[in-house]
Parts: sequence; structure tokens; C-alpha cells
Amino acid sequence: MNNDGKGKRFESIGQFLAFQQELISSRDPKRRLVLVCRGTSCLYANKSDRIVEAAKREIEKRGMAGQVEVKATGCLGFCEQGPIVLIRPQGIFYPRVKEKDVPRIVEESVLQGRAVEELLYTDPSTGTKVVYEGEIPFYRKQMPLVFGHNKEIDPKNIDDYIAIGGYKALARVLSEMTPEQVIDIVKASGLRGRGGGGFPTGRKWESCRKAKGERKFVICNADEGDPGAYMDRSLLEGNPHSVLEGMIIGAFAIGCEEGFIYVRQEYPLAVEHFRMALQQAEERGLLGENILGTGMKFRVKIARGGGAFVCGESTALMASIEGKPGEPRAKHIHTVERGLWDLPTNLNNVETWANVPLIINRGADWYASLGTEKSKGTKIFSLVGKVNNTGLVEVPMGITLREIIYDIGGGIKEGKRFKAVQTGGPSGGCVPESLIDLPVDFERLTEAGSMMGSGGMIVMDEENCMVDIARYFTGFLKDESCGKCTTCREGLVQMYAILTEITEGKGTEEDLSTLEDLCWLIAEGSLCQLGGSAPNPVLSTLRYFRSEYEAHVRDKRCPAGVCKALVRYYIDQDKCTGCTLCLKRCPQGAIEGERKQVHRIVPEKCVKCGICREVCNFGAVVRE
Amino acid sequence: MEVDTFLMDGKEYPADESRTVLEVARENGIDIPTLCYHKSLPPYGACRLCLVEVLWGDRSRLYTACTYPAWGGMVVWTASEKVLKARRLILELLLAEAPASPEIRELARRYGVERTRFRAGRKGAENRCILCGLCARICQDVLGVGAIGFKGRGDRREICTPFEQLSEECATCGSCPAICPTGAIRLESISPHSPRPIPSEFDAGLTSRPCIYIPFPQAAPNKPVIDRSNCMHYKFGSCTICQDACPAQAVDYGQQDEIVEEEVGAIVVATGYQLLSKDCYGEYGYGLYPDVIDSLQFERLLSASGPTGGEIRRPSDGKIPQTVVFIQCVGSRDPSKGISYCSKICCMYTAKHTMLYKHKVHDGQAYVFYMDIRSGGKNYEEFVRRAVEEDGAIYLRGRVSRIFEREGKLVVKGADTISGASVEIEADLVVLASAMIPQPGIERLAQKLGVSYDQYRFLSEAHPKLRPVETNSAGIFLAGACQAPKDIPEAVAQGSAAASKALGLFSSEELTREPIVAVVDEESCVGCFYCQKVCPYGAVEVKEIRNREGELIKTVASVNKGVCQGCGACVATCRSNSVDLEGFRDEQIYAEINAL
Repeated sequence: MNNDGKGKRFESIGQFLAFQQELISSRDPKRRLVLVCRGTSCLYANKSDRIVEAAKREIEKRGMAGQVEVKATGCLGFCEQGPIVLIRPQGIFYPRVKEKDVPRIVEESVLQGRAVEELLYTDPSTGTKVVYEGEIPFYRKQMPLVFGHNKEIDPKNIDDYIAIGGYKALARVLSEMTPEQVIDIVKASGLRGRGGGGFPTGRKWESCRKAKGERKFVICNADEGDPGAYMDRSLLEGNPHSVLEGMIIGAFAIGCEEGFIYVRQEYPLAVEHFRMALQQAEERGLLGENILGTGMKFRVKIARGGGAFVCGESTALMASIEGKPGEPRAKHIHTVERGLWDLPTNLNNVETWANVPLIINRGADWYASLGTEKSKGTKIFSLVGKVNNTGLVEVPMGITLREIIYDIGGGIKEGKRFKAVQTGGPSGGCVPESLIDLPVDFERLTEAGSMMGSGGMIVMDEENCMVDIARYFTGFLKDESCGKCTTCREGLVQMYAILTEITEGKGTEEDLSTLEDLCWLIAEGSLCQLGGSAPNPVLSTLRYFRSEYEAHVRDKRCPAGVCKALVRYYIDQDKCTGCTLCLKRCPQGAIEGERKQVHRIVPEKCVKCGICREVCNFGAVVRE
Repeated sequence: MEVDTFLMDGKEYPADESRTVLEVARENGIDIPTLCYHKSLPPYGACRLCLVEVLWGDRSRLYTACTYPAWGGMVVWTASEKVLKARRLILELLLAEAPASPEIRELARRYGVERTRFRAGRKGAENRCILCGLCARICQDVLGVGAIGFKGRGDRREICTPFEQLSEECATCGSCPAICPTGAIRLESISPHSPRPIPSEFDAGLTSRPCIYIPFPQAAPNKPVIDRSNCMHYKFGSCTICQDACPAQAVDYGQQDEIVEEEVGAIVVATGYQLLSKDCYGEYGYGLYPDVIDSLQFERLLSASGPTGGEIRRPSDGKIPQTVVFIQCVGSRDPSKGISYCSKICCMYTAKHTMLYKHKVHDGQAYVFYMDIRSGGKNYEEFVRRAVEEDGAIYLRGRVSRIFEREGKLVVKGADTISGASVEIEADLVVLASAMIPQPGIERLAQKLGVSYDQYRFLSEAHPKLRPVETNSAGIFLAGACQAPKDIPEAVAQGSAAASKALGLFSSEELTREPIVAVVDEESCVGCFYCQKVCPYGAVEVKEIRNREGELIKTVASVNKGVCQGCGACVATCRSNSVDLEGFRDEQIYAEINAL
């Protein structure tokens, strides 16, 4: 079996299924494999390509080239610990692998099947070493139905995908089902849009199928713009065929022949992998003219986005594909009826498309059994912030925030206190500690004043100032608003100005009511959902952390000690030993004092960088 | 069940998905404010000012009226508490965004918003732009030019040209400043070329006019016309703004000029005059200094229907001129540079101008440079004396040699030949009494009509004393300055005379003519039509002679007795001797000679 994904074109469904059967049986589940994470961050930041090369070199050196395969996979999720190396069939897990560790890993683990003790992952909560991937708490509570295949395949090789049952759903749809049946299954599964809106996917497909138009389009929205969120990128990089298969099935169900994937220019690896996937699928007769000999036609073009957050909004995205400025339009015209070039268009997010083959393969009932009453299946979250284990996590809907943050995320860094979690990207809201047992699904998050969004999850601890957080997200949205609506453009500018003044200690109590007015106006009066949800960061923090705002405006105090204008550093005379450490490290020369004598901070010179407080071994530097 | 009506402000209206709530509201006199909406453009929904509250059952939401279809079954409130709150907040935001726009201030005041709580001046205290996009959209969507557009997003969004370079694509058509609701657009920042306003013919170029306009207030029919050579519709084939705006849908771009043929018995020529080009007096700086104008322009400044509403304000800066110099005989009586005749009316109208100027600007001073004062006529001399004695116009006998600008004033250098001194006057405005000449192209008309004209191209009357309104061609009469320079009473008198001459033709059943007209002997006429070529009055026509079966036998010349003046040119020309003058036939002449 060759390894570059090239092969014969399948002329019929039968031919494809026979090939797949042969491929699966030819692959020994016990064969030895070295899997190296080659997601964007591991590849570029941690140079995981060098690890791949080193592993190949070492294996060749030992004359094992034919028996051990080295696979560069997509993102493996536990990005905090990247680059990750997995040794199969045992499942030995190595975090933060360096090039110099590779010979030992190959020697010990690949050849002898033993773990290299000192390179293993240490569970921070228990301090014990963990050998196998499945035993790591980060992975244990996850349900990686969509994302889990990343660790089984080389995204550049279509055969790897076929070997794990890929395109079987497509073959099944084309051989056994009518478009209506496909739509019924998707409807029955309860799948909802993973891009944030949560609109039932099956219903969307059905409307698009019924809409009249000479041509129809399906679009995959891969314009993932939320800061800190990268699930879509990782899926496209790690398993592009699953997304493509979903799109082909969707095209069959809707009855269209043309598709687009709108992907950010900043995702070169995702574009490269997806382009390869398109090419290989077309060569193999899974895409293009006469798919699997059934006469179905479908082509996908890649449209690259210029990096505007607003182009993730469906109508702005379509305008952008058309070559116009990315500006949303009024929503009462549904894109399923008049979308791209005013023709019926069905747009779904990367993750939604990737869920489709799963539903076809395992049935609507199975899928509907996962999750909560109204939110089915799993959801991938990008867990970042002040949590010990950052990375991508796929969990069933309905899991509580506590489980995600404490069980999977391993709790808050440095044992600090959890304060809030910001979900749903920049226009999501902050969910406070009191709601930590909130089950995560579309409805509950919305009720809590936040949203599911595309799945960003930023954990904050006691040292995060909520006013500053609201200001940060409002600033992002102010920059990324398309600027069309007065309410969103000017409203966000003013909201940002007010929040900045509050963090500088110039806020008044009147400002809080002005903020509330603006939030109302922007949410009620804007054209698109970017505007509609833009006040969420401010609204949710005002709702749950109003006292913090009041401390800023009334007492001119920042309880978290973040807002520089409102904090003051001084040295506790009783604790200072005169060690001069702070004096030496102060970049401003703002600390006075003699050796063995109590030091003093000169307020006029101090820029409140906090270095003195960090370096002091005696806790003598006080911030208030 | 489909509901075919919807409720707006408590009243029922028919639902129509193809129309918007705004359209239905405006048609029914419901006021919804808009900034980014224009009838000629697709709705955009950017300013958000037209938000209205829409209820579907219990669910209330705000939608922009300009984009929301008039769906059946919904309930719309255009001025509910929620709507007004949103509008006031939006106006507060706009006040902060465009602090320099009086239009926004006025609109805000209407909604009781006197001040904004927000931080103003992000884009400068002088900013007027509210990014409604009308300018960019009209340029792209209506004109198809696309010289300006949006740049950037979020708070960095602005209107500019590609690469912020002055755009050669811009046709300086002026649509963008015209459509801008806040006066924010300056063409200088868009095009490297300054806009060429179309001078208003009626206001003698003192103002500009649009491409669709009513030629002058009392035009008949009093209907607009389209200036095709400048209209963007005919240039780019796209703009239909005037059509969209016309509630009567009367604008029809397909209309063509047509040639109307009428058979008439009389024609009155009243083509008027124009002023001699000021080019021959380059030293007076006409065209160089905006405040050197001619007498017709000054006439418009005096007129209550003129560009200044009758106030005398100079064109350059709109200031009221304190010193005005009038120069007479600019071209008249000057065979070396202009024309040798006297334009006759300048002395009188200049006196009138000085008086009217004095009546409007009490502390102003008028100076008049003249050669002679020709005030022949009833009360004319007294009129001029009044200008001098009562209204204080200073008359200086002498010519002006040069006019130039110095520190915002026009310096008029001239001679006062009575005192023998040279004079220098610092004027705010100079009015040139230019010579009167016939309208251009009058020669062609004269030739067409068979009317003769003099060396200055003024049309000639049949007899200077006895037939002053008739021409040598029968049925063609003259009225006004096409015949010679003349003032209003004379023109009125001549016009009345021409009219009564024309009316005289209706007074009897048959036209009475001098009997001495040419006749053609049809038997000997060979149909060479030399006579037709030489006839100055166009009296020779073509006549076909047919037999009983209607077959054409020959074509011969035939004389229209109503037009023939009996000059005899045809008689002398005819090579077959077939034309004779009635009463003066060759035989008759010979008989007379033989009788001697």
C-alpha cells in the first residue's frame, strides 16, 4: 500500500467498499506506530517536523524502516503539553518532546515497548507519572467522536481516512438513501450548527433543498476568528476528509453541485491539507464528476478570507466570496433561499460538517442519545486561560463547566481561585463561579448571558479584572465590527471609551447606566449577530460582577489589582528585610533603600509593572 | 393562513412583500427619519435611524423600516417608547461622531436630544461624515463609476478613493456631495480635477444649474428639460435618479428631438441679441477676475428672481460691493477693437443700474466711465440727470485703460478727459456695458428665410422709414433687436407692429397683393428651374403636369403669387423666355414702344 494517497479511481460504490475492506484488513491493529503531532502550533512553535525526521532517522538506523511507521498527525488536543508523541500499539504518551529525546523513545518504547520514565507526563494533581494516553485526566473525561480521529490518520493521505471507515457514510448515502432520507436522519439526530447559532442543521438543509434556484451552493465556514479558538483549524488540519465527506453528503441531500470552503488566509496548513484532500478525493472519484459512478456531481472551491472577524458571519462571508466587502445584510432574507449570488445557499461550520458522516454511520438515534434535551452530540471546546491543561477538548453536550475546568482542565493554575469562564468567543459572556455546575448546552449558556459560540472557553482567576476583560473584548469587537451600522460601530467605540475611562479611574456611576443603555441599543438595534451579541461581555460582567464595576467608579479601586491607574504598590516595613532584590530588578529605578534597611517605592517613578511583587521572597511588596 | 394586511401605528394597511415598511409609511404620511436611505438606491440599513418596533405575536423586535418588508400579520409601531429610546441613543452617537454636522444637530433637536453623553471628536471636531455610504453607493450602484468606497472596518472605517489617491475615474459629476445627508463630501479630496459646474444660462453664468432643469421661470411649457451633453444617464447609461424621484413618472429617457413641420402664412423673427465677447478688451480682466461682470449679469444680480434674490453681492465672495465702476462703450463705437455702431441702450441702462445700486446699497458709490451720454428720447435726459444729481453717480468722461487686482480690490485706471487728470478707482465690482450684437447663426436663418442682413448681421427691414417691420420676403416680419440695437419701448412697439402686420393677413378672405408678379408660360417652360435658383424670395415652386390618365407629362416652374415680389430676376434668367412679369410682358413693353 503506497503512502501518498494516490491510487485508482473508484468507478462504483462496490469497488470502493471492496477497496476499503481490503485496506482495513491489510492494516494490522498491532503494528508499531510513532505518531507525532503536527498541528500548527506544534509544527511552527515547537518544530515538530524535526521530531518526525529524527524518529524516521532513528528507526532507519536500527533497520526497522519497514516495520515501524512514523506518522505526522494533526493536532492531538493537549496543546499545553505539545509537541506530543504517541507510541502505538501500547498508547504510550510523551509530552513536550524534544529532538534529543527521540533516540531514547525509539530505543525504549518502539523497540522494546517500555516507557521512558522521566519523559512521561506527570499528573499535576497527584504528582504521579502517567504512561498511557487513556489514563491522562485531560483525555479521560473527553468523548472524542469527531476530533479523536486526528490521532489515527495522516491528514495528507486519503487512504488513512478510508482505513478508519472514511467515505463509508458517503457510499451508504449514495447507494441506499434518498436525499429526503438523509435530511430526515440529520433532523432526527438533533444536530445543531456548531458555529454558534445553533440552528438545527437538518431543517436548514431541508429549506435549502426546497428553495428554488438554478444553482445551489453549500459552504463550509472555516473563518474561525475568535481569539484563542482553533477547533476548526485543527479539524481541517488533522482530518480534512471528514469535513469534505460531510459536505458531499450535504450536497447530495440538498441537491447541489458546487461548494465553497471559506478559510482564513492565516491558516496556511489547513488550506494546504484541505487542498490535498480535494485533489485526492477527486482523483479517487469521491469528488467531481460522476462520484463513485453514481452520476452525482460536486466540486468544492477554496475561498480564502482576509482575516476580518466579521466575515465569519454568514452573509458577510458570502459577500466576501462574491468579491464584495464583507458586510452582513439584513437577516429576514434567508440565505437558504437567497444566499451566495442570490441563489439558495447552505452554510455550515467545519465542525457541523464533520459531524455528518458520524451521524450517517452510527445512526440518528445513537447521536440523539448523546447530550441534553435540545443540544445533541458532542462539542469541541478550546480550553484556554488560567487553567492547568489548555488545549482542545471534545465533550458531550450537557457536561458541567466544573467537569471541563477541573476534571479535564486540571483546575486553576497555581492553585488560585476560579473566578469566571468566558465562553463563546469575544461576543460571548462571562459565566461566574456561582454557575460552575451549569450544564453546557446552547440554551443554558444563553440563559446565563453567554453563548455557545464556536466553542471558545477562556478561564479566569481571581487576578483577572472583569472590567478590564470586558474592555478587552469590547476593544476587539470595536476593531472587528464591519463598521456598517451606527449602533455597532459607534456604540462599541463609545462603550470602549467608557470602559477605558473606568479602568483609568475616571468613571462615574452615570457611566454604568450609559453602558447599560448602549448594551441595549447595540443588541436591539444592530443588523447582524456580531452587533446583536457584542454587548455580551459587558452585559454579563455587569450582571455577575457589578460590585467590581462599582469598586472602580465609586472607590476608584480595582479589586483584582489589574487596572494600573487604580493600584498602588508599597513595601510592608515589617516584612522587608532589605535584601535589595526588588531594587535591583525594578526597571524604573523606582525603589530606594540601603542593604539591610527597609526599602521604599517612589510612587512618582513607579509604572506598576509588578515585578517587585513577583520577585520579593518575603511577600513584602503589597499591591492595593 | 396568509394575512393580507398589517397594522402600523394602529391603522391597517395592505401587506405587500415587495415593498418595505418605510415605503408604506412615507406614502401614508408617517414620518420615519432616515439618513442612509435614498429612493434610487437599494436599502442599506446602516444608519439604523429608521428602526421601528415590529411585533409578531408577543415577540417585539426592532427592525430597520428601510429593509423590512411589509409582511401581512405583523404589528408595527413607528414611534413607540422603545423606538424613540433607540433613536435618541443613535442620535447621541451620531452627535458624537459628527459634531460639525448641523443636519445631525437639527435632527437630534427634533427628538429632544440637545447634548450627547458620549465622547465626541474621535474623528476630529470638524467631522461631518456618518458613514452612511450613500456617496459610495451612488457612485458605484447608480453611476457605475466606483471612484470612492469604504476603507477599513470597525472604528477605522472611512470613505476614500482607492489607495487614497485622487481618482482619475471620478467624473466630478457632483452626485456624492449632492446625496450626502450631512455635507461631508468635498470633491477636492476625490478628484484631481475641479468640478465644472454647468453655468446657468438664465443667470448669465452667475450660478450653476443641474442637468435636468426648467430653462427659466416663465418657460412655456414650464417643464424640465434634460441637458443630454452633461447628463450622467446619457454618459454612463446607468443613473436614473430623476426618474426615481419623479412621483408622476414623467421622466422618459427615450424621448427624441423631433422636427415639426407647419404650413404658415407669416413668420415673425424675434431672435434678439447677445453681448459682444469681452475678449477684445483683455485689459479689463473679464473672465480673469470674477468681480468684473457684464451688464446682463448685473441685471441678474438686481433681479428679485436672480441668484442673490435681488441683493447686490459680488460673485467672488458674496460681499456687498461698496464701490462699483460702470464702463460704457465696451466694444461699441470702437471700429478698431469692437464694432463701429452705437449700441444705443447702454447709456440708459447704466444710468438705471447706478440708481438701482444706490437704492439697494445706500452707502455705495457708483462711477461711470463714458464717451458721450446719448439719452435721446422722452424723459431720457432727465433720467440720466437724476442718476447723477439725486443718486450721486459720478460720471467720468473718458476711457478705462486697465483693470487689475490689488489687495482684494479691482483697481480701475482711466482718464477723466474733462479735468485732464488720470483716475484710479479702487472698486469692489466692475460692470462692463458691452456692445450689442446679433445672435450667432442669424445669417443662416436669414438665408433660409430669404431676408437680407447688413454688415453687422442685423436683419434688414424692407424700407427703413415706410416698412420698418417687414422684410423683402412677403410674410416675414421683424421684431426687436434682431433688426438693430433697441431698447424695450422700441422693441415692444416693433413687436406689436409685427403682430398686427401678421394679424392683418387674417383680415380678408383673400390675400391682396401687388399685381406685378411673374408668370410662367407652361407650354414653353423646359423645367430647368434656373428661375428657382435666382428667386430671392423662394417664390418659384415645382409644378407637375399630368394627362387625364394621371401620367406625368412634364414638370414646369410655377410662381407663388403670394410670395413673388415682382423683382424680375427670374424673367432675366429664363433661357427659354418662358417667364414674364404680369403687366410688363415683353409684348406689352414692345407694344408701348411701338405706340410711341
